[in-house]
Amino acid sequence: MKKHLKQQLPPGDFGIWIVVYIELITFALLFLGYAFSRRADVALFNQSQLLLDQRFGFANTLILITSSYFVVKAVESIQLIDRKKAASLSSKWLLLAMSLGSIFIINKIIEFVGKAEQGINLSTNSFFMFYLILTAFHFLHLLLGMIILFNIQQKVKKGAYSKDDYKGMESGAIYWHLVDLLWIVLFPLIYIIR
Amino acid sequence: MIKIIWIILVILTLFAFLVGYLKLVSSLLVGVLLLTTFIKGGLVIEYFMGLKDVTLKYRLIPTLWLASIILLIGVAYYLPL
Repeated sequence: MKKHLKQQLPPGDFGIWIVVYIELITFALLFLGYAFSRRADVALFNQSQLLLDQRFGFANTLILITSSYFVVKAVESIQLIDRKKAASLSSKWLLLAMSLGSIFIINKIIEFVGKAEQGINLSTNSFFMFYLILTAFHFLHLLLGMIILFNIQQKVKKGAYSKDDYKGMESGAIYWHLVDLLWIVLFPLIYIIR
Repeated sequence: MIKIIWIILVILTLFAFLVGYLKLVSSLLVGVLLLTTFIKGGLVIEYFMGLKDVTLKYRLIPTLWLASIILLIGVAYYLPL
């Protein structure tokens, strides 16, 4: 019966799903704001988009999906029967995920600095206003995600999670996947579609 | 299985990048890009977030969000100016 109930409910705490839904709505407004504002001046948006380096967007997408994959492996590993092995393996996966998250941060800072050096800011035009708001807002979520992953990793190392109790870890993982999901929509929308 | 999902995500991401980088973007390919974005998002929701095993109502919320966003982005792109 317990197993049946577990399958009925989503992973993680109920609260994290409320956070997820709020974030989804917030980003939906920004995504649609971009998509419909583009219609007002397609030429400007297309011209401005040429100033973006798609390689950054591509690299960061690969980084996030791979990092998300590592987080899934971390949650899988914590469910091993041998608690010591579970903690060690799970911690390793989380460190790998955070390493990739750090590369994302470096990439994004390089990209932001590059744009600032080109004199691009929020008031440059509508395209760059959306580009900067969307990517900076997402960046803040990624930073929070990194803090969450770090806290989870510390707790994993201390043996705070086990195969019978890892809901808190799942909640953190859900948040990280949300950051990934949002970028999956952001990448083609801002960097590719024209 | 999760590794296969990751490989699919990488392949679809590579496809999107190449379409943009090689300047192949056309009206038709935008539709394909939106479809692949929906597939990628769906895979993350189902397999990474782990919603594939839960009841439909919990799966529906993020999936409907994704479908609506992709659909409306498509509307904004394809609707005549």
